[in-house]
Amino acid sequence: MTDIYIPATSDTPEIDFKFSSNTLSMSGEAYPENGVEFFRPILKQLQSHLKSLNGAPVEFNFQLTYFNSVSTKIFYSMFELLNEYAKSHPNTVLLNWHHDEEDDTILELGQDIQEDFTWIDFNAIVLA
Amino acid sequence: MLIDVFSVFREEANTNGIVFYYSGIVSQNVIKTMSDSLKQNLQQQDEKGARSRKVFSTFIEMIQNAMHYSPSVPDAGDTKEGSILVSKKEDKYYVICANFIQKQHETRIRNKLDPILEMSAEEIRQAYRAQLKNDQHSEDTTSKGAGLGFLTLARDSVEPIEYAIRDAVGYEDELSCFYLKATI
Repeated sequence: MTDIYIPATSDTPEIDFKFSSNTLSMSGEAYPENGVEFFRPILKQLQSHLKSLNGAPVEFNFQLTYFNSVSTKIFYSMFELLNEYAKSHPNTVLLNWHHDEEDDTILELGQDIQEDFTWIDFNAIVLA
Repeated sequence: MLIDVFSVFREEANTNGIVFYYSGIVSQNVIKTMSDSLKQNLQQQDEKGARSRKVFSTFIEMIQNAMHYSPSVPDAGDTKEGSILVSKKEDKYYVICANFIQKQHETRIRNKLDPILEMSAEEIRQAYRAQLKNDQHSEDTTSKGAGLGFLTLARDSVEPIEYAIRDAVGYEDELSCFYLKATI
């Protein structure tokens, strides 16, 4: 599958999904006018890519600094997809959860993700 | 407007700690520009980042709510309008938003907000988590965030969120004015 690269704008994140090496990264801010419309094609591609994989390790770098409620909901379903993959292929998904030390909102969401998606290896990284 | 009146308006705004005020057309472009201005403003005021972020998040949830759900302004084509204010007084930030709603949606909004107003911080957190997991999203064609928006506001507010629905002067039959307030 072709890699996805979408540069950041002020209200949409940088999406750097290197399917060729299974390194998926997102950074920046996310509050697009229509979050579902913006993220749906990306999620679809991720879903079909995961289906084509046979236990290859996947690394996800989550480095967003702000995202609105609609985006939060979408990211949750994205991690659900990764969790499903890791369930059929244990110990393959590593989620690097970057957050600012002071940002309790993103930290808490990370804790929820960790609790709800136990097949994902969760690695919290405090941004310097 | 006379310069005298404007000068009183400005002084009143300053005395009341108004950091940011906008009233007019609400589009994503306007929101992006306001976000820029508000961020810079908050950076200057608040040395700690955590609260600034909550103020910013509240601002975005409220103004995007106005953009998505307010009906088009009568006699103004497809444009949406809203008013939003960020103020700081005695070490608390207040974010208040006002926009038109269709009268027929009044009950729906009350039914969503009234239970949240009664919740403790812990209950809000539980409801937020439940809503995050709830994937009945696609069946609700009116709500874009599946109800997570109001809970996000409630979660970040240090006092219960407040709201009011008033008659829209001149359009009493079809529209109401919806006010929403959070304290951070």
